[in-house]
Amino acid sequence: MMSTRSLLVSSVVSLLAATAAAAADVHYTLDAAKSTLEYQFTQAGALNKGKFTKYTVTLDVAGDAPSKLDVVIDMASLDTGDKERDDTLKTPDLFSVARFPQSRFTSTQIAKTANGYDAVGKLTIRGVARDVHVPFTFRPADGSLMGKLTVKRLDYGVGQGDWKATDQVGNDVAVTYALKLVAGAH
Amino acid sequence: MSIRNTPARWGTVAQFLHWLVVVLIITQVILARWAEGLPIGPKKIEVYAWHKSVGITVLCLAVLRLLWRWMNPTPELPATLKPYERALARVTHFGLYLLLFAQPLTGWMMTSARGFPVSWFGFWQLPDFVPRNQALYNAMKDTHDTLALTLIAIVCLHVAAALKHHFVLKDDVLRRMLPFTKKS
Repeated sequence: MMSTRSLLVSSVVSLLAATAAAAADVHYTLDAAKSTLEYQFTQAGALNKGKFTKYTVTLDVAGDAPSKLDVVIDMASLDTGDKERDDTLKTPDLFSVARFPQSRFTSTQIAKTANGYDAVGKLTIRGVARDVHVPFTFRPADGSLMGKLTVKRLDYGVGQGDWKATDQVGNDVAVTYALKLVAGAH
Repeated sequence: MSIRNTPARWGTVAQFLHWLVVVLIITQVILARWAEGLPIGPKKIEVYAWHKSVGITVLCLAVLRLLWRWMNPTPELPATLKPYERALARVTHFGLYLLLFAQPLTGWMMTSARGFPVSWFGFWQLPDFVPRNQALYNAMKDTHDTLALTLIAIVCLHVAAALKHHFVLKDDVLRRMLPFTKKS
């Protein structure tokens, strides 16, 4: 017959186990067909738009809190709607895609904010890694991850030679992400 | 000299708009040739941006000119002109006005179809005239190029006619469009 004490211990153990199960990492991956990763920049005083068509996103969620965000972008997939401009953007003076085929964001920690989350981590573009804060909202119910980040292209050396000038092609690039993530295996 | 047109002479507003558009069209040809020759880079983007901004300016001035023309008497052609000369003058002037609209509009369509929005000297971004479409861009580029040559040809005819009036016919057709001259 079980003593009261052992009953208590066993209850605590099961409770802990249950908590651990609830807090188990859920690993989300990208549903690329339902996601967009876009950017806006000024060219000759006008707002121009583009997107990336190939990228991967993973998000680990511990309990109900996102714990790790990882984004890898295939830079050759940049698409501004104009082949000549896209080819120019891939040249060594701009994204230098042959040397630096990927851009990446890897979070080191994710904090809760008033409106969502703030992923702190390293953003690497054109081989230059910088600490950035990536704000985002995440809804586990439908797996939507959204947000907007402004990146200064010259911080990453995107613009060498004549392209260092910002009067025709602005320094600020607003990156907008509207992603659909799906929960995968634990 | 009067601000408004009279049946005998162009007023200062019409003269100013005429000569301003002359200067801007010469500027357009220079900017277009300059931009075409530049390698891809910020300078090329900048020069094309000027070309687009000046083009939109010409479009607005063309609207103003037509409005002003309708609100004013148009100086009469000399009574000595033969009917075919009269017709030729009308066709030439109509063609010039038409091109003052068609050139900016085909240029605007070109850049919109290409996916490059236009900002008027960085102050105001124009709406895209047409959606992005490569085939439309190609068609508009050919049209814009052809119309540019057509415009140059008609301008040559216009200038030749003005010079003929002045030096051969010795009438006041050219002088009445010139500032600082008195009616003979």
